[in-house]
Amino acid sequence: MPNQNGSIYGLSILSPIIDDPSVNPSHDLQIREILATLSTGAESPFAIAPGTHMARFVVLDDVIFVGYPSVEEHLQSKYLILESNLDGDLDTYLRGLIAAAPQQLDAIYNHCVGYPGSSNPRAFVDYMKSCQLETTFLFAAVNDKSLPETLRALQTQRAVSDFIVTHQGTEPARLQSEFAQFAAKLKSLPIPKPASTTMHRELKIGGRNE
Amino acid sequence: MSKLNETDIQGFVLRGYNLPFARYVFLHFEDAARARKLIGSLLPLITTGQRWDNGKPQSTVNIAFTHRGLCALELPEATLLSFPVEFQQGMKHRAGILGDTGHNAPEQWDELWHHNRVHAWLGVNAQSPEALEARCAALRSLLTETSGATILASQDAAAVMENGKPTSREHFGYTDGFGNPDYLGISRSTQPGQGKLMPDGTWAPLATGELLLGYADEAGELPVSPLPYLLANNGSFMVYRKLHQNVATFRKYLNDLSTQYSGGKEKLAAKFIGRWRDGTPLELSPDHPAPSIVEDPNRNTNFTYGADPEGTSCPIGAHIRRTHPRDAFGFNGKLIDRRRITRRGLPYGPPALEDQPASDADDRGIIFMVLNASISRQFEFVQQQWIEYGNDARQGNDKDMLLGNHGGHGKFVIQGDTTETNPPFVCAHLPNFVELRGGDYFFLPSITALGMIAMGLVDPR
Repeated sequence: MPNQNGSIYGLSILSPIIDDPSVNPSHDLQIREILATLSTGAESPFAIAPGTHMARFVVLDDVIFVGYPSVEEHLQSKYLILESNLDGDLDTYLRGLIAAAPQQLDAIYNHCVGYPGSSNPRAFVDYMKSCQLETTFLFAAVNDKSLPETLRALQTQRAVSDFIVTHQGTEPARLQSEFAQFAAKLKSLPIPKPASTTMHRELKIGGRNE
Repeated sequence: MSKLNETDIQGFVLRGYNLPFARYVFLHFEDAARARKLIGSLLPLITTGQRWDNGKPQSTVNIAFTHRGLCALELPEATLLSFPVEFQQGMKHRAGILGDTGHNAPEQWDELWHHNRVHAWLGVNAQSPEALEARCAALRSLLTETSGATILASQDAAAVMENGKPTSREHFGYTDGFGNPDYLGISRSTQPGQGKLMPDGTWAPLATGELLLGYADEAGELPVSPLPYLLANNGSFMVYRKLHQNVATFRKYLNDLSTQYSGGKEKLAAKFIGRWRDGTPLELSPDHPAPSIVEDPNRNTNFTYGADPEGTSCPIGAHIRRTHPRDAFGFNGKLIDRRRITRRGLPYGPPALEDQPASDADDRGIIFMVLNASISRQFEFVQQQWIEYGNDARQGNDKDMLLGNHGGHGKFVIQGDTTETNPPFVCAHLPNFVELRGGDYFFLPSITALGMIAMGLVDPR
């Protein structure tokens, strides 16, 4: 089914960027500047708002001519692409997004043609859906678990790993009682916030964020 | 089928000499004309890939250059700029990409590497210490006669001896040096498990262009090479890394953990690597070392991981399973054919026999050298993704148990089963067993290319 892989919805939105030669720097460069400094951590709009597994913004300038025998073609506009893997219903997701991060989304989408602004959530949802493309091929890292379930699973994985390290070789009766305590404590912990469990990676593999 | 002119290729590229003594001499060129004259005088002495029909020579000589060295030789700008970027930058500049940080950071390296003065590497291998000294004395005279270069430093290395005979053991006690890849057109005593895995389960040589410039690689392309073609052809890139081994830390960690591991100390040591310390692959003999397998070239590298997907025989994160994954990543092993490297090297420092005390402060380790056609695609990928990261092996952020730059925070999971002597086990708080003490990226030219450099004939037009 298009747009859907397991319980995950694959959202693709192409918003035309305003082409106005009198504006300097151009709207597409202004978007690039915002995106270059947009948080990829816990302050990201996609971390504040509920339901995003992964999201990516891309500014699409044009299609590139790769040489004969392909044909040289051009887009009519520059586009801002939003790709997002999300939980459940699209309307609910978009309303959650605009409610959580109105200023950040305005700063980005004000440079796009026909953007109605965040003051009217319904208009925002309609605008985004009018720019939506059908996602026909969708990769989701986890396609049968919701975001809270995934965050909980990561938390559990890490905690259990630590528990094993500290309890290897413990005498069975004590291990059982300590595991029971551990499991009860783990259950009572709040679900971690999105992006809060990301581990620091020392390796540079290229790209600005690293 | 590539047909190789073995007399035009430096012998060090084509085969491990299996000579137990070595000295690696690092040169600095003061003057391009004099340095070219030195290379001209060295040229007839360079050991080529020609077969040794009359037995091994007493000693061998090979030469390789850093990019700064080629600049000092005043190769044309257009040639210098055509080398792959990672080679131009050198290994120190690539520290962030390689994970050479913290204990392994360039500031911790030997003095030799601090000032970017290394221009060339002279590798001398010999059958005896006397032959090594004799050859080095002759080379020093040549340096003096031509005033072509100064010696910045020398690094001695030698096989660990046992009862007067060289062994292939390294200082942690593991038998090393199995499984360099086979390449098309390179004649050596080949054995199953050393090339690439074919769909029918047999092994075939890798494309020549994975090792040598100027030949098709596994993608059917020519490796990225400097201009002109004749300078690159029959050459290779070499990575030199001096890896200090913290033998005391290793022994203590192994001893401490083995008190908690019901499989016993030697099995735990085997799980780290994927081979028992005598070299027996865990995949072929999970419960005990088997000398008959180690001694059989048809068996000692002839295995895959397909029947052990859970890692109960050989842990998924074991060193040899990470660095030569064979079929472990699926797709009949196709994903790894462009990530293979050829290794050379010898231990350095005083041997540390198991029953003798050893300290981390002892100057002891292994000189690890890699030969490959593309440093970034082959060595750097293996170092970054398979040594310093675990995602391809589905081990998350876990690094290579033995070589990883853990800084005390590393973890290594030994998968197990329900038998008493093969329990699942987690090794935590991993320290750095191995620390980088220096090195660089080198270009090993062909004999023709050395002649062109010596005669000032390199012309990229």
